[in-house]
Amino acid sequence: MSVALGRAAETPVTVVAAVRAEGISVHGPAGEIVRRVSFSVEVGRTLGIVGESGSGKSLTARAICGLLPPGLRAGGAVCFGDALVTLPGTAREWQAQRGAAVALVPQDPFTSLSPAHRCGEQVAWSLRRRLDGGPQPPGRARRPGLSDQVNGYLAEVNLPPDVARRYPGELSGGMRQRVAVAAALAAGPLLMIADEPTTALDASTRRDLLELLARLQRQHGMALVLISHDVALVRGVADDVIVMYAGRVVEKGPARQVLDRPSHPYTLALKVSEPPVGRRLERLIALPGRVPPPGQRPPGCVFAERCQLAQAECSVREPELAPVVGGAEVACLVSKGSLELPELREAIALPLPGTGVPAALEARDLFKSFGSHLVLKGVSLEVRRGGCTGLVGGSGSGKTTLARCVAGLEQPDRGVISFGGQPVTRRSAGQVQLVFQDPYSALNPKMRVGAALAEAARACSSDRPSSPAELLDLVGLPAAFARKYPRDLSGGERQRVAIARSLAPAPELLICDEPVSALDVSVQAQVLNLLTDLRERLGLSVLFISHDLAVVRQVSDVVYVLHHGQVVESGPTADVLRSPSADYTCRLLAAVSPREAGH
Amino acid sequence: MALVASLAVLGLAAVAVVLGNLLFPGATQVDIMNTVLPPGSSGHLLGTDQLGRDVLAISVAGAASTLLGPAVVAVGSMAVGTFFGLLAGARGGRADFLISRLTDLLLALPVVLLAVVVSGLFGASYWWSVALLVVLLCPYDIRIVRSGAIEQVHKPYVEAARLLHLSSWRVMYRHLLVNLWPLERTNLLLNYANAIIAMSALSFLGVGVQQGTANWGRQLVDGEQILFQNPMASVAPAVLIVVVACAVNLLGDSINGDERRLGAR
Repeated sequence: MSVALGRAAETPVTVVAAVRAEGISVHGPAGEIVRRVSFSVEVGRTLGIVGESGSGKSLTARAICGLLPPGLRAGGAVCFGDALVTLPGTAREWQAQRGAAVALVPQDPFTSLSPAHRCGEQVAWSLRRRLDGGPQPPGRARRPGLSDQVNGYLAEVNLPPDVARRYPGELSGGMRQRVAVAAALAAGPLLMIADEPTTALDASTRRDLLELLARLQRQHGMALVLISHDVALVRGVADDVIVMYAGRVVEKGPARQVLDRPSHPYTLALKVSEPPVGRRLERLIALPGRVPPPGQRPPGCVFAERCQLAQAECSVREPELAPVVGGAEVACLVSKGSLELPELREAIALPLPGTGVPAALEARDLFKSFGSHLVLKGVSLEVRRGGCTGLVGGSGSGKTTLARCVAGLEQPDRGVISFGGQPVTRRSAGQVQLVFQDPYSALNPKMRVGAALAEAARACSSDRPSSPAELLDLVGLPAAFARKYPRDLSGGERQRVAIARSLAPAPELLICDEPVSALDVSVQAQVLNLLTDLRERLGLSVLFISHDLAVVRQVSDVVYVLHHGQVVESGPTADVLRSPSADYTCRLLAAVSPREAGH
Repeated sequence: MALVASLAVLGLAAVAVVLGNLLFPGATQVDIMNTVLPPGSSGHLLGTDQLGRDVLAISVAGAASTLLGPAVVAVGSMAVGTFFGLLAGARGGRADFLISRLTDLLLALPVVLLAVVVSGLFGASYWWSVALLVVLLCPYDIRIVRSGAIEQVHKPYVEAARLLHLSSWRVMYRHLLVNLWPLERTNLLLNYANAIIAMSALSFLGVGVQQGTANWGRQLVDGEQILFQNPMASVAPAVLIVVVACAVNLLGDSINGDERRLGAR
């Protein structure tokens, strides 16, 4: 079966293995990172690769394009149609395969395009290479009809022709990502690999891009590999799926079977730790622990130490992929088929707290501009004492600026901010603290956890400030963490330490600015549960900022939807999400609703 | 490998600085009976200069004056640079404007001309030229520390420290400075190598050290006149300057490389 045959077919019905990867492995300085991953993708089908950070899914994809970062070594073999490349492969071999056989759409549209070249030129590079049948330096030589073809590809990704003359810097993230897709498409690949293509995009544009990828894959008869940490997203698009954990495939099979009725405990955990947008759960189901890094992976089953089903045998013998009932293959010694979904209990609706006392935070008519750009256009918002107010909005909506104004990191141009009914001029550490989005830069890298917490506790106005050990205990970390440096901690652990630090001065108001958006789903559930517990125990008032409606649904009583610096809708969270009145809220809800089908 | 070699060279240099006068007590003593002996003369491995001083002995004895001054220059300029750079970068606003403009002004001054003028006014003194080099090098350090601080100051960990209402000195020194240290350390070593060369150049122009002092830069000048009778009189100090300056640079590079590898983990 030839490559040309497979691609000529308009609607491929015949089973043509476009790409077969056999025993892909990746070794790094610390040891094995990816172990013997095999899969095949047929023309016209989509394979989803699901896994959290550290699972090795991106490195697997890069290994089969010959694009591993320096210092890493690939093994195994890949068949593109009938061309075989034994990994790692020489530069000459890859030169022949890239573009025609395989093209990559990278994660970050902000860095994957050259900022100094017009978008049209960048699409033309891959087009020209394909027409000339070989690698060409990016030159300026004119080809008749080339720009028409470039415009054709731009049109295919729903971009107007004038984008060809514009620079990436002039486009939004979603448009840039579509330019990257057009460039990959223009190379005429047999296989397109999209590595977390929507992670950097707003919720409302994510769905569009996925639908676009699915359509292009059908029209061009390509095979598509979609890599994502988002189970619901992959479920909506992929035909087949492989689930990776700590560099190994733990489950593979038809997407519906694997993601709706998981047979591996890890797949199940991934599925149930996603918060639903339709209801508020009493507790999210979180996966304890962390992914073991390369070089520290235990013998036997790598998932054993986090697994609820684990038995003595699991830490000794390594499971191999084996077929189970239902058509999936599972690497587990215990599971014999689909596992039972745990019962998710819905939270009881409580009356809104803090009626009759002054609000913990009241912001009235806040205006803020940076230069000529007006970011906040008269925002008013309230956080009741002991309550949690959610603030939802896309990037550029002004939600972070609002948080910074409330915390005192920015001065609003106009408007009044009151804490407990008193307008504030100067803040103290005990009034308001902020939990930042990125746990990696929120802690001083040169300071031990204990020192950072002790320093924060000294800012407390009470007579007996909490000790670092008490603070660590509060966020569910052992006291021994005090001696560690931030670089020794995982993302979730860092965010816990950051939360402990912000609680040290016993603040009346805690602002959480996207506290879980940089974390994996299983860790996200841990942190959300922690925040719920802390609110109950300490009676905290919380302003919770997120772009994710499902996350906001789980933690907040009241929600404000912010769009272009204005509150477009507000009210009790359940009411707003059940029957939204503003257009923008409806769009946000529509973008996340596919997730609901999974629950 | 580079690390071991540069540490060995710097170790030998340190021994020469500390023990130079003990090893060759009469190194600077004039001996008019033995002027300008060629290399390999008996008792004088590298020959003698026009004052009859043994070139090997005077080169070892000159280590102290050649290497100590630049150390003071590098440390001094880094101290000044850290103070003003942090102030400008972390505070911003008027302090930044004032410090940055003064830095620009200093950078516009012609170095050699200034050195000649200063030595004309105050006499050609070793410590005056050290002080002068501190003033001339510190603008670069101020700029480097300032830009490093500006990069760090908007990071969440610094903003978290501000939300705890820590004093701005504590934020600057406990939070910012420790994270700028790798930058400063690299720059300190680079500055040291530059200062060795600059001090030697000033001595070569006759504005650094007094004539007749044991100093590698000075030896270069004096040796020039007898280049054909005893080339080693100027080659030896020249090689020493190059080797020590290279060793310092290599040390900086290898420490930095290790740091990067550690950071990548």
